[in-house]
Amino acid sequence: MQVDQSQILEALWETLYMTGASFVFSLFIGLPLGILLVVTRKGHLLENEAVFNVLNIVINIFRSVPFIILMVAIIPLTRIIVGTSIGTAAAIVPLVFYAGPYIARLIENSLLEVDKGVIEAAQAMGASPGQIIFRFLIPEALSSLVLALTIAIVGLIGASAMAGAIGGGGLGDLAITYGYQRFDTVIMLLTVAILVVLVQGVQSLGNLMSRRVRRS
Amino acid sequence: MIQFEAVKKTYVSGKQQVHALNGIDLTVETGEIYGVIGFSGAGKSSLIRTVNLLERPSKGRVLIHGEDISTLSARKIRDTRKDIGMIFQHFNLLNSKTVHHNIAMPLLLAKTPKTEVDRKVAELLEFVGLADQAKKYPDQLSGGQKQRIGIARALATNPSILLCDEATSALDPQTTQSILDLLRRINQEYNITILLITHEMGVIREICDKVAVLEEGRVIEQGSVFEVFTNPQHATTKRFVRSVMNDELPDSLLEQIRLNDGTRPIYRVQFTGNSVGQPFMSRVSREFQLDLNVLFGNITELQGIPYGNLIVEFDGAPAEIDRALASIRNGNIQVEEVQQHAG
Repeated sequence: MQVDQSQILEALWETLYMTGASFVFSLFIGLPLGILLVVTRKGHLLENEAVFNVLNIVINIFRSVPFIILMVAIIPLTRIIVGTSIGTAAAIVPLVFYAGPYIARLIENSLLEVDKGVIEAAQAMGASPGQIIFRFLIPEALSSLVLALTIAIVGLIGASAMAGAIGGGGLGDLAITYGYQRFDTVIMLLTVAILVVLVQGVQSLGNLMSRRVRRS
Repeated sequence: MIQFEAVKKTYVSGKQQVHALNGIDLTVETGEIYGVIGFSGAGKSSLIRTVNLLERPSKGRVLIHGEDISTLSARKIRDTRKDIGMIFQHFNLLNSKTVHHNIAMPLLLAKTPKTEVDRKVAELLEFVGLADQAKKYPDQLSGGQKQRIGIARALATNPSILLCDEATSALDPQTTQSILDLLRRINQEYNITILLITHEMGVIREICDKVAVLEEGRVIEQGSVFEVFTNPQHATTKRFVRSVMNDELPDSLLEQIRLNDGTRPIYRVQFTGNSVGQPFMSRVSREFQLDLNVLFGNITELQGIPYGNLIVEFDGAPAEIDRALASIRNGNIQVEEVQQHAG
């Protein structure tokens, strides 16, 4: 094995850091967009065809660009935001552009599952649009939202593996530079094993939390 | 009071226009239980939704206590909605929240202090008979219990009007009965005006004071439940009335009437209210030397008024039968001949 324990731990930390930070930022972008995608659609709370159509198209555009290309394509923007285009922090910017629209779609899906009758009941009792979103839609969808966000985190762990391309580091990078390019099977298997454990852990935690919040 | 004035509702989807309501004029007086009945697609649910503006009328006005709320600001409309409770066929409770939280919701939206919320929820739970279920979740309750929670929630803001959207259609007959009893109590104890829509004539008969029959977005018949049930005019109304009054002659009887040689005419005799008290059969029989044979009939109660419907065979001299009929009609009893070859 050509790497030592501290390198693996550092890579693990980088992966966790990239995934965690980009998840938080993507959630800040994705949650409002997901809510907007639901409430501005035809026949919904704040129907607005223009807003819905623009959002819908823009999100589709971001979702159709492969992550590896997105990462390179937004380098100028990355440089503006974090001051550099290489390194772990720089990898977070494209990850957010990748996961933000993805999370918006996931949240849209979860919120659309909420029974229309519940929204009708909320309107009938005189709830304002804000109250309907935060006191009815989100609490009713919460369990499904948690599962959706779990999917997003697992997706981010996968995407962060590609961050090596711009020097982002992380477990994926370790697996490629040492495991693949230097034929170190042990390190390859080890990093994959760590990723498997990580994904399993995230998914189990997500499932548990989803069950917990089903009744709040 | 709810007044519908020439209310129209048209849905446009692509190039197609669907006219759900075609000019509705109705007045629901304060304290009344008003039922609107119709087959599915008649426009009932559009109609009830124009009251709290879940649907905006395309034309015409709906006045709540004399005020057209569609001209108000969004905030004022929300305030008015707090005065109009609504319950639903599928209850529409929050599955993620406890019974207590569900009932408290309208109060929480109005930022009511917690002690006041707790007091009101406890009172409502007591009223609907579910005081011990506060900590449960909706999916742990039966349909009837869920509707009780829906009712408690609708009453939380002390509304003056309650809208019932097919509130018993998802319930079994026994549960339906208990929910209707509860609605009647609400009407009587709190003097809440109730507008309900249903496709079940039994619901109308059970609790409504007035009824309107809706077909293709129009009111084809309206009046007191007693009038409409005892003297339906429109074919659709007759179908609805028959669905619960069972005044259809059985086949065996029709066969007998068909075999009748015409010497013993058959009449449908309908008596209502105080005319029920008259022993008209024995009187007529004695006075005009007739044999009266009741072939079929039922006596029931509508709105607390007894109502009878008998199919009677008259046997005797034709001249005496005519005099007997005149005498019966004098006593405020309706008589009409049953077609001899009815089929």
